[in-house]
Amino acid sequence: MSFIDILALLATGAGYTILVTLMCSATGMAVGLAIAMFHRLGSRQVSACLAVFTYVFRGIPVLVLLFIVFFGLPGMGIGVPPLVSMMLSLGLIAGAYLGEVFRGALDSVDGNEVLAAQAMGMSRMQVLLYIELPQMLRFSVPGMVNEFTTVLKYSPFAYTVGIPEVMKQAMALSAATLRGVEIYLAVGLVYFAIYKVLVTFVWALEKRYRVPGLTEH
Amino acid sequence: MVLLQTRNLGMEYDGKPVLRGIDLDLAEGELKVVMGPSGCGKSTLLRCLNRLVTPTSGQIIFRDEDVTRPDTDVRALRQRIGFVFQNFALYRHLSVLDNVTLGLRKLRGMPLGEAVERAKHELRRMDMVEHHHKYPAQLSGGQKQRVAIARALAMDPAVLFFDEPTSALDPLMSREIINVINQLRRDNVSMLCVTHDLFLARSVGGRVLFLDQGVIHAEGDAEQLFGNHSDPRIRAFFSQEAGNQ
Ligand SMILES: Nc1ncnc2c1ncn2[C@@H]1O[C@H](COP(=O)(O)OP(=O)(O)OP(=O)(O)O)[C@@H](O)[C@H]1O
Ligand SMILES: [Mg+2]
Repeated sequence: MSFIDILALLATGAGYTILVTLMCSATGMAVGLAIAMFHRLGSRQVSACLAVFTYVFRGIPVLVLLFIVFFGLPGMGIGVPPLVSMMLSLGLIAGAYLGEVFRGALDSVDGNEVLAAQAMGMSRMQVLLYIELPQMLRFSVPGMVNEFTTVLKYSPFAYTVGIPEVMKQAMALSAATLRGVEIYLAVGLVYFAIYKVLVTFVWALEKRYRVPGLTEH
Repeated sequence: MVLLQTRNLGMEYDGKPVLRGIDLDLAEGELKVVMGPSGCGKSTLLRCLNRLVTPTSGQIIFRDEDVTRPDTDVRALRQRIGFVFQNFALYRHLSVLDNVTLGLRKLRGMPLGEAVERAKHELRRMDMVEHHHKYPAQLSGGQKQRVAIARALAMDPAVLFFDEPTSALDPLMSREIINVINQLRRDNVSMLCVTHDLFLARSVGGRVLFLDQGVIHAEGDAEQLFGNHSDPRIRAFFSQEAGNQ
């Protein structure tokens, strides 16, 4: 069995790794955006609740939360499928971090522009939609890339709930062939390839929507 | 005909009075200039008038309608008042053209083609149409301010407010803006202009109100106020501002 064969076998698990990473990142984006928006529009009580959520979910280890959801909740009669368990653990934790990224980016939006938009007659929601969010997303690109990468690196936990992603394939292969060094080196290469594609895609998007003088320093 | 009138307008921030007993009126097509030392309440006055902040007492009558009533549609009011800021406040993520069309499309519901046409018309008026594809960071201060004025004019406002439109500009660019204001005067655009800039106040004519510590102390022609006024506060302000130029 050549190194190429090993890579080819692992590639079958790469699809699941990508699926888990995308779903958890998407969950994180949705949650992070919601957090940032509610912070901006909501009352002080809402902000306090969100701060507690962020505090808790940034503090809890991914694996612990994953086990609570996947192994704990069924005990209370709530069965959660593996992928959904990943989204409710890794995804929510990513959301807590992304919420902070977005909040910081929102603070970089020039208050004078917000004032100008309100003076023009826009509602608070319109100001958020047309002025604050488009700038916030552009400011957030480095933080988002960072968080997506983190999600990718935590995706191997998916094997603990039975998702046949790259790590799971590698462990089976390694047990059968005892060629651990090559196999895990190949695993590293697969992750690196996924990472490269992900980052290239995000930066291509960033370039497509780049505005002169907005994000260059 | 009176466009805008205040009666005994007052404003407090946390119990601290910032504006007191302001009686101001602006006729259709008229330009008035408000001058006064830093922190005297000039910006607050403009923000009260378009209800960005809520006055604590008194009345604002806008085209015969009391817009201080609690049931006033403040967003509709603001759409009828063009606001031009000291620091331009262009939307940095939007091109010059999109800056001008945004309000038309999102607030007026105008179709894109029509909005672009209207925006280009106003940009042409401000001599900025050839820059329509640029972004704010690619413009000079004077150019930014002219885009900001085009953006305000595109909404076809009843009146234009200027809050120190030349303070962030060098003398040459200030001239551009003064020329624009004079041009708008000839077009009978109603304007209320807050400024420190004696040269601006002189060059655009119009009546000048002197505001100090939230109270209007004098009103008259520029020359009348700048000359040897009997009020020592006014003399002090204008001699100091003249020294700054
Ligand atoms: N949001 C606010 N909360 C509390 N006080 C405020 C607020 N905005 C303004 N003030 C106070 O109200 C007073 C008037 O402020 P304003 O900005 O209207 O002055 P200004 O005449 O425009 O000054 P400048 O020439 O520096 O722009 C100042 O003393 C200022 O400290
Ligand atoms: Mg001011």
